[in-house]
Amino acid sequence: MSEFLRVTVDKFTFRVATDRLYTAEGAWVLRIQPREVNNVRLGVTDFVQQHNGDVAFVNIKPGGTPIHVGDEFAEIETMKVTLALASPVDGTIVRLNEAFTLNPELINQDPYGEGWLAEIETTNWETDRTRLLDPRAYLAVMQAQAEEELKS
Amino acid sequence: MTCRVAVIPCSGIGKALGSVTREAAYELCDNLRPDRTQLVALSKLVLGEEQARERIQNSPAVTIDGCKQMCAAKLVRHSGGTVVREIAVFEVFRRYKELKPEGIAELNEEGKQLARALAGEIAADVDEITKGGAHA
Amino acid sequence: MPDLPQRKAGIVACSGEELPEGTVARLAALKVLHELRPGNTVTICLPLFLAGGEGDRAFARFHPTITVDGCELRCAARGTEMYSGKPAASIVVKQLAAAQGVGVIEGRRSLNDAGKRAVDVTAQRLAELVDRFVGKRDTRGATTELVVLQPSGAKVAACSCGTGVPTKTALIDGKPVEGKE
Repeated sequence: MSEFLRVTVDKFTFRVATDRLYTAEGAWVLRIQPREVNNVRLGVTDFVQQHNGDVAFVNIKPGGTPIHVGDEFAEIETMKVTLALASPVDGTIVRLNEAFTLNPELINQDPYGEGWLAEIETTNWETDRTRLLDPRAYLAVMQAQAEEELKS
Repeated sequence: MTCRVAVIPCSGIGKALGSVTREAAYELCDNLRPDRTQLVALSKLVLGEEQARERIQNSPAVTIDGCKQMCAAKLVRHSGGTVVREIAVFEVFRRYKELKPEGIAELNEEGKQLARALAGEIAADVDEITKGGAHA
Repeated sequence: MPDLPQRKAGIVACSGEELPEGTVARLAALKVLHELRPGNTVTICLPLFLAGGEGDRAFARFHPTITVDGCELRCAARGTEMYSGKPAASIVVKQLAAAQGVGVIEGRRSLNDAGKRAVDVTAQRLAELVDRFVGKRDTRGATTELVVLQPSGAKVAACSCGTGVPTKTALIDGKPVEGKE
């Protein structure tokens, strides 16, 4: 069970899980297997799902697709926008969250748990992880983004 | 005597889909099925206005919600109403993907079309609910 | 003078569907939220508020909140008081429209001209109240005027810890200014 950091901006409270790493764009990366096999699970943060609204459709690249840092691995279409999500790691997509076929709103309901997007077998984890933010660093980035968004 | 179905939209003010619920309720109650429906304001119901309470206690209710919070469905049940059909507009949107609603004060054309499509679907439900003058 | 964080006011509209005045309340609130005072206001969605939206309730508890109702039932005002506290101010469209002589408001789905005038009048009044509660900067000259007022019905201003901080008098340019209701 994850623990969370929290920040409130106006009437919105955003959570950041403390057991994973982040990109500044709001993707999270969670190692799911230790030691030799550096498999990670990817998803989007609570701020991303709150800010972009109810998810209508989710499209993820198929299992077996090789990806590199910066390649689009998933597309999330909400009522407001279509988000193209860039992979934060090199590797191969090995598993997709099949639940989205019937319940794309899982991303809104449980972004850090049941709303995960894909699992990647990484090929360059020790280098890729150095580019990621720890939870506190992401919290600061996210808070600044939230305050900026709510000003406009 | 045919009973009138109580129609309760959420009318949420934060999203375009809230305006879609409102527009769909008007289309249904004013144009498509004026003799078989009655529009009930959610806040009046929750705050105990007598006529609103009587309407939902004596009639089957159809709620129309704009987001996953499902406020209208929750509040009507909490107020003692029988919700025979709860509509989540964002799920309906998945079947009308090209009709992406925008604007809250003034819905765009796609939003209005989505509201009309939604009202048409609910009208069919109302016909079913009121068939033979019986409650569903 | 310290650089104070920008205050915001919450706006709760009844959005009542049964009366055209409910539509006026909704549109007036949206006009202020999106056009007249977008940086100083926060939307409080009434159905979510009533259904238990904690973020909305918490905001209304600790920030000035202005309600806009279509009619004397005052659902937004009563709901706000029930779950967060008495609103800082409250507008009733029927009363304001009558006082301003806008004419007979019709068209709950599509407002007539009187209804559109009512939207403008209500939005203007709402914007004035927002300015009162968040402080309005005079952009014309060098002087910055910040008028600290008591929210209606409140005895003290309070922060989230509950400590009361009486704010009846403010010092502006070294001169005391009494707060007004």
